[in-house]
Amino acid sequence: MALEDHKPEMERCSLCSYCKWIPLDQIKSWRFAKGCPSIAYSNFLSYSARGRYAVALSLLQGRSNYTDRVLDIVYKCQTCGSCDVTCKVCRYNLEPLETILELRAKLVEDGQCLPQHKVMIDSLHKEGNTISKPKADRGKWAEGLDVKRFNKERTEIVFHAGCQFSYDEELQKVVRAAVTLLKNAGVDISIMGENETCCGTRAYTMGYQKEFIKSAESHIEAWTKAGVKEVVTSCSDCYHGFKRLYPKVGSQFEVFHTVEFINHLIKEGKIKFTKKVPMTITYHDPCHLGRQGEPYIPWDGVEKKIRNQVVVYEPRRPRYNGAWGVYDPPRNVLRSIPGLELVEMERIREYAWCCGAAGGVKEAYPDFAKWTATERIEEAKSTGAEAIVSACPWCERNFTDAIRSMADKMKVLDVVELVQQAM
Amino acid sequence: MALSREVYQALEDIVGTENISEDPAVLDSYRYSLSQTSIHMGPFYNTFTPRGEAVLLPGSTEEVQAVVRICNRYKIKFKSSSTFWSAMGYPSDENTIQLDMRRMDRILEIDEKNLFAVIEPHVIGATLQAEVMKLGLNTHIIGAGSGCSPLASATSYMGPGPDTIFMGYSDENLLGLEWVMPNGDILRTGSLGSGLGWFCGEGPGPGVRGIVRGLVGTRGAMGVFTKCAIKLYPWPGTTKLPVEGIVPAYRAVLPDNFRAYTLAFPTWKAWADACHKVWDAGIGYIAHRQFPMFGRELKAAMIKILTDPTKTLYDLEEMLEDPEIQKMGEEMKRDFQIVLVGMTPRDIEWQEKALDEILKGTGGWKVAAMDVPEIRNWVLLYFIRIGHKNLNLVYAGGYDGCFGLVGPPDFGSARAEEIGEFKGKWEKKGAIVDAGGDCMIGGIGGIGGGGLCMWENFAHFDPDDKESVEGTFDFFEASFKFGLERKFGPGMERGNVVARGPDGKTTPKEIRERILSSAPQPTVFRYQRKIKEAFDPNNLGDAYYVTL
Repeated sequence: MALEDHKPEMERCSLCSYCKWIPLDQIKSWRFAKGCPSIAYSNFLSYSARGRYAVALSLLQGRSNYTDRVLDIVYKCQTCGSCDVTCKVCRYNLEPLETILELRAKLVEDGQCLPQHKVMIDSLHKEGNTISKPKADRGKWAEGLDVKRFNKERTEIVFHAGCQFSYDEELQKVVRAAVTLLKNAGVDISIMGENETCCGTRAYTMGYQKEFIKSAESHIEAWTKAGVKEVVTSCSDCYHGFKRLYPKVGSQFEVFHTVEFINHLIKEGKIKFTKKVPMTITYHDPCHLGRQGEPYIPWDGVEKKIRNQVVVYEPRRPRYNGAWGVYDPPRNVLRSIPGLELVEMERIREYAWCCGAAGGVKEAYPDFAKWTATERIEEAKSTGAEAIVSACPWCERNFTDAIRSMADKMKVLDVVELVQQAM
Repeated sequence: MALSREVYQALEDIVGTENISEDPAVLDSYRYSLSQTSIHMGPFYNTFTPRGEAVLLPGSTEEVQAVVRICNRYKIKFKSSSTFWSAMGYPSDENTIQLDMRRMDRILEIDEKNLFAVIEPHVIGATLQAEVMKLGLNTHIIGAGSGCSPLASATSYMGPGPDTIFMGYSDENLLGLEWVMPNGDILRTGSLGSGLGWFCGEGPGPGVRGIVRGLVGTRGAMGVFTKCAIKLYPWPGTTKLPVEGIVPAYRAVLPDNFRAYTLAFPTWKAWADACHKVWDAGIGYIAHRQFPMFGRELKAAMIKILTDPTKTLYDLEEMLEDPEIQKMGEEMKRDFQIVLVGMTPRDIEWQEKALDEILKGTGGWKVAAMDVPEIRNWVLLYFIRIGHKNLNLVYAGGYDGCFGLVGPPDFGSARAEEIGEFKGKWEKKGAIVDAGGDCMIGGIGGIGGGGLCMWENFAHFDPDDKESVEGTFDFFEASFKFGLERKFGPGMERGNVVARGPDGKTTPKEIRERILSSAPQPTVFRYQRKIKEAFDPNNLGDAYYVTL
C-alpha cells in the first residue's frame, strides 16, 4: 500500500494518545509506563503514531513541506511497533506501524533521505551488508567451524547468520554456538558463509523498499534453486524479514528463530543440560521476534462497511497486533536451564520497550539509540537481574554499548550462550 | 501570523531550543480534526482547529509563569493541554501558542496517611493508579479513561467515571492547587496557600475553587494548573493488577472480595428502583451502564469479540446470527454493570446479600453469560483501569454523545426507549452505525446527594466519510430539537457550541451571547465574565471559559 492508501486511517485516528504508552492495562508503575521511545525522547506529539498520522496527512494535503524537522520526525523512530500494539487494544481498522513505514518509503522516493542511511544503503549495494564491512570477511565468523557450507554441501535447512552476527567480533561466538548446538543435536544444517548477504530488512524499515525487494528476490531465488525448505536464523531482524516480509515477495520457506528450534530440540530430548548456570537473568523481547514476529498470513481484499458504518475488510484481514509473536520459546528455553532464575521486567512480550537500535536509529541518531537502551537497562536492573538476555544481535550490541557508557556491570547475553553454558 | 523573532526568541530562552517548535508539520500535529469527534459539537467534515503559532513544552512552574508573562506582554493567546482529549485542548484562534504539558509528568508526593497524591499535569490515571495501588490505595479514573490527566480533569472539566459512585467526580477530588493565573501570577489555593500542605482545597488559605473551576471547568482557558493534590481511596486488592490473557483480551483475576456483575431488569422502572436501592444500601465500588455504548443489538457480540483475541469486527455479522449471543443480548437490554469490592470478607458477603435482595425486590437478575471467567475478569479489569475506553471509537473512529440526560435515574431511564427508537430511525438512514438505537451509557450516580445519573447516547460514524459525517451532524441537530420538543432539555449535542464554531475557531461573540442569554440561568455566565475580566485582563484565554 502506498502512503495515500493510508489516508482514511489518518482521518480515523482518534487522537487518543494511547500510542505513547504500553497498553494501559499493563502499566505497573510510573517509571516504566511509556511504550514509544520516540515521543518519550523528543516530546512533541508529532513523534507519536498519532502525530505521524497528522504529519503525513499534512504533507499529503500540502499544508506543510519537507523540512529538517519533518525528516527528524519521520526517521527518529525505531519502527519498534509499540504504538501498533497499544493502538490495537481498541482499534481494529488502523495500522500505525504500516503507515509509518509507508511514510518513510514516500520520503525515500522523494529523495528526502538521511546521509547516514545512504551510507548503509551504499554498503548494501557494494558489500552486501548495511554495516560497511567488506564482503570478503562475511564468512570469517565460521572459520574453523565444522559445519557444512551451503555452496558445497547443500541441505534442506540453511542457517542465516545476519550482518551483525557475521561481523561483530564480540557477538560471533553466539552464531558459532548456535550452529554447533544445532549440528550436535542432529540437525542437518549448512551455512552460506562468505556467500551470505543482508536480508534487506533494515533497508525496508528505513524506507528503502526497492532495495529490500531486490535482497528478498535474490535470497528466494538462490534458496529455491538449492532446494532449501527451512531457514534458521539467530537474528530477530532477519527472522522478521524472512517470516513476515519475504512471503509478500513470494517466499514459501519455513522460517525459524534459533530459540524456536532449540525449544523444540529440548522438548524432543535432543538437547540435554548437564550443568547448572546459577544466575538471575531477565529476558528482553526483541521487537522483531516478539510483537513483529507474528507469522505472515496472505490477504488480498478490500475495505467494506457493515451495519452502515462499521469498517471491516473482505475477506477477513489478518490482524497483526502482537498477540501471536514469539514470546514463550525463549522463556521455555531459559526456564529449562538448571540453576537459572528468570525474572521479568515490567514491560514484556508484546509491550516490551525497544532496545533502541532498529529502523536506522542507531546509525542516524546514536544518542537516541543509547538513551533508549539505557532506559531498558535501568528497567532490567530494577528486577535485580545480573544479566539481560536477548535473542537479537542488534539489541545485544546496543545494550552492550549503552552499558559501557553507563559504566555498569550488567551482562548482556544471548539465549544461545546460556544454553551452551548449561551443556 | 507567525510570531515575531523577538517573541520567539524570548519564548525559546525560557524553555530551550529543543522545547519549542513552529515547524508547520509539528503545528499540524497539534490540530484537532472536527470530523473526528469534538465533544460535543459537530462533526464537521475536513475541518481542523486552527494552527497555533508555536508549540512549547514547559518543564516547570517557573517556565510556565515566564511564558504566560511573555504572552501578556505581547498579547498572545495561549492554550495549555496535558493529554489532549477532544477539541477543547487545542487553540481556538490564530495568534495562539500551544503549551503541551507533557514534560511536567511527575507524581510529587503520595500521602498515604492523609489520602492524597500531588501530581503534575501529564501524570495519567493509569500511572497514578499503579503507584497508589502499591500502597493499598486507589484513585478516581474518569470515564474518558486512564490515559487522561487527573489534574486536567480535576481542575478543568467535570470528570465523571464508572467509580463515581464510590470516588465522586473529578472536581470533588481536587485539594490543594498551584495555578499560574492568566496574568502570570501564581496562586496556591486552600491549605497550600497558607503553607500548610496540600490536604485541603478550601482552606485554611485562599478558597477559590469556585473561581478556578467555574461552571464546568475552565478547559484550558484560564491560565495553567501546574500541580494539584487529589484524593485517594482504599484499594483492598493486590498491589499490582494481576493482568493475564492475550492482547487485546486482557483480564484480571482478583481475590474473592472483587465481584463484577452485569445486572438486568424487566422494566426501566425496575432498573431505576435498583439504582436507588444500590445507593440506599451503600454498596458498589464501580457502577455504570457501559457496554450499551456498542449498541443494544451489537453489545453482546462485541463483548464476545473483545474477549476473544482471535476475533475481529469481521466476525460481527456472523456472531449476530448466533442464537446464544442473541439470547445474551435479549437478556441484557436494560442493564448496568456493577463491581462490588469488599473491604473485609464480611463486607463482601454483606454487599452480595444486599445486591441479591435488591434483585429480588426489583425482579432483576445477574446476566449469566457475563458471569463466566473470561468475560467477568475482562470486565473487572476494564472497569478498574478504564484502559479500553477508546472502544468508543472502535467501529470507524468517530463517535459523539447526544441527549445527555442529567437527573435522578428515573429521568433518564423513563426516556430511554423513546430516545432509542428516535435514534433507531436515524440509524436506518445510514450515516451512523446501525446499533439498535439504545446506546445510552452513564454512571449510576455520584457520592453524596444520592444518585445523579448522567446518560448520553453514543452515535458512531466514519470521520473519513463525508456523507457519514454530515449525516451525523444532521442527526445531532435533530436530537437537539427532539430533546427540546419532548422537554428533556437541551442535550449534549451542542455542548461546546458557544466555545468553537463549525470552522474550528472561537464562536463569534454575537452568537455566543444570543445562545447564553437564552440559557435557563444566564447569570452564571455574567458572573464568569466578571471573573475573567479580573483574572484575564488581556483576554488571552479562549471561549471555553464561558462568559456573557
